[in-house]
Amino acid sequence: MATTVLPRPKAYDDTFFKPISLWLTTTDHKLIGIMYMVTGILSFLIGGVFALVIRLQLSQPNLKVVDPETYNQLISAHGVTMIFFFVTIFLTGIANYMVPIMIGARDMAFPRVNLLGFWLVPVSILLYYSGFFTGGALNAGWTAYAPLTEKAYQSHSLGVDFWALSIIVWAISGIMASTNFLTTIVALRAPGMKFSRLPLFVWAQISTSILLLVVGAPLAAAMILLEFDRQLGTQFFTTAGRPVLYQHLFWFFGHPEVYIMILPGFGMISEIMPVFARKPIFGYMSMVAALFGIVFLSMTVWAHHMFTVGMNTWVEGFFMLMTMLIAVPTGIKFFNWIATAWWGSIEFTVPMKFVFGFLATFLIGGLTGIYLASVPVDTQLHQSYYVVAHLHYVLFGGSVFTIMAGIYYWFPKITGRLLDKKLGEWNFWTLFIGFNGTFLIMHTLGLEGMPRRIATYANESWAATNLIITLSSFLIAFSVLLLMINIVRSWANGEIAGNDPWKANTLEWATTSPPPPYNFERVPPVRSFMPLRDLRESGELVDEPEPVPV
Amino acid sequence: MTSRVIRALITCAGLVALAVALSSCDIGGLHPIFPNPVSPNGQDIYNTYLGISIPAIIIFLGVELALLWVVIRYRRSAQPEGYVPPQLHGNTRLEIVWTAIPLLIVLAIAGYSFAELQKDFQPISNEQMDVTISGHQFGWDYDYQNGVVVHQEGTLAGDVTPFVVPTHTLVKLRFRGNDVIHSWWVPAISGKTDAVPGYDNFSWLKIDQVGTWRGECAELCGVGHSTMQIIVQSMDQADFDRWMNQQKAAAK
Repeated sequence: MATTVLPRPKAYDDTFFKPISLWLTTTDHKLIGIMYMVTGILSFLIGGVFALVIRLQLSQPNLKVVDPETYNQLISAHGVTMIFFFVTIFLTGIANYMVPIMIGARDMAFPRVNLLGFWLVPVSILLYYSGFFTGGALNAGWTAYAPLTEKAYQSHSLGVDFWALSIIVWAISGIMASTNFLTTIVALRAPGMKFSRLPLFVWAQISTSILLLVVGAPLAAAMILLEFDRQLGTQFFTTAGRPVLYQHLFWFFGHPEVYIMILPGFGMISEIMPVFARKPIFGYMSMVAALFGIVFLSMTVWAHHMFTVGMNTWVEGFFMLMTMLIAVPTGIKFFNWIATAWWGSIEFTVPMKFVFGFLATFLIGGLTGIYLASVPVDTQLHQSYYVVAHLHYVLFGGSVFTIMAGIYYWFPKITGRLLDKKLGEWNFWTLFIGFNGTFLIMHTLGLEGMPRRIATYANESWAATNLIITLSSFLIAFSVLLLMINIVRSWANGEIAGNDPWKANTLEWATTSPPPPYNFERVPPVRSFMPLRDLRESGELVDEPEPVPV
Repeated sequence: MTSRVIRALITCAGLVALAVALSSCDIGGLHPIFPNPVSPNGQDIYNTYLGISIPAIIIFLGVELALLWVVIRYRRSAQPEGYVPPQLHGNTRLEIVWTAIPLLIVLAIAGYSFAELQKDFQPISNEQMDVTISGHQFGWDYDYQNGVVVHQEGTLAGDVTPFVVPTHTLVKLRFRGNDVIHSWWVPAISGKTDAVPGYDNFSWLKIDQVGTWRGECAELCGVGHSTMQIIVQSMDQADFDRWMNQQKAAAK
């Protein structure tokens, strides 16, 4: 009787080029996470191209690179793409990949909801960009204030309708992901993984999910009312209605969204800093408390985007106070990070460089936030280039720098290969210099009276500053190109990473790189919030054989 | 280690020198504060900005220097061979301190800002002149309540019709949006005020010198947004009266 020798099953399939049918139907949180991240990066590139066209248009006074209508569509598309389709989506992806592994689970709690939630994202993106082919996309900024978005001022195009539909789909997707994260973290933690031992990145994901769960629905509601106005003739936000009501609804989502885009970044910093400083995170409990302080406060500050609409001064005073109070939990996090590094033995790997780049630049965004929170000062700074500078210091210096740190830190886990160090250092320094060159002097442009969202300007004295900004923005583009080259090259031929190239603390480094579909053959015991370090110190960590490149 | 520290310090000193050199050149768009305002409410905002800058600059320098110190002093190559960092998990007293101090600082800034808010941002009733400013796509109409209306139509060519006010006069400004939301902003006078359809919004100005100041619409209002330039011109009372009589004659 002939015996067929079955081929020894490979531990896992670590090739990226799986059959397309697998990508389309997978419920594996890791593959879905990769698809989220790739979608995010593609959006980042598209949004970046929009930004470069904007900068070309503004590099000198009275230029006509694009006409004002196209310009308005570009600034709107830049904002929508970066906020809705890049940062939020990329962060959801990285959490989708890492959270289940970090808590020792095999997958998300609802794998098929995860699948549906992800596939709603491309639907949302395609809906939005459909506007460009139906008479013009959204042209009222990413905030899309009514009544400029109403039918009376937009009769020629469907851009606003597609935008509203896109955001509704996006909000549903976000609510699905948030529910899934919360259930996963509550229900699927490995034995020993008490709440008090959760990695801070997981805590950050809990706080982010709570926020999106609370504010996603009001956002969808605002979009539905806007569509009622446009298609059914209601008067919610029209000139005859209450245009400011739209602003309240939008910013009740819009401000917490800022924290949805930065809290996971805070979580990454809290993971990466201890690993390369070789010290435990300083003040674990106060880090968790600060996260929830931010969650609570961020839902009570939305009207600080509206200090010039003419509210009662006591109401303005309330929103000013609550906004400024956010500096307290953020300050706690900052001081704890510095205290973690203090007396450490810091290894300046590329992710660690991005961590310090984040700390140095996010501080500026935080401090300018105090100026903007002060109602009298805000009436000068509001809607000026000062705000553009501030929001890029928190979203680029904040979110993007943490994302970069996260990419360099977790790429070896996801692909099994390290990103190239030399290219990474070039990536960091060009990004750091290009970023500050672009956005630091935008503050002074705003102080001198340059409003945001103007398609061009006649003031000759702003020309030199704008030219420096445009040149620096191309340095950012060069830096992003380096990142892309690094990702593509290292994914193909990078140095093999092994299970734990950084000697890290959390569970994702206890399995192979990339992890098998079931994540762990045996979930390691969890005795503190640094389970892997405990195993290393007690000598229980048995290195699995190095993965063989396919 | 020491040569590394020295090199890092020299680099930092160079960067600071470069920053100082840059900020001292008179390139337009590089001033660290808005133009010295000519109206008292603008002046109060200016002072509030300066007031907030004191703690902000101290915190900025303190934290950035701490980061620099960490980068230079606690890098692995600056530590002795085989150095094992102390495994600290926190320090309750220290954490209370760096919760309480920022709390006190922001409470002080909020209180200081709130006082200025109550002082200058209430609708006034002791005005000597009342002008209604209506924003429309794309321009501003200034209604002096005596039949004279100045139309400031949108342009980027520099031929902006000025909004003329007399010096030493408290002018109440009433804002209206005729179509979408606009925002009236002349940084050298004061902060901006939105012109929203459906209700009136208020501000005021009082200029004590003769001159001309520019501004523009600060709320995206459509394709002509960047053309909504503003010129405010202040004149002596006598000149203003002569100007007003010309306007009245032209209006007839």
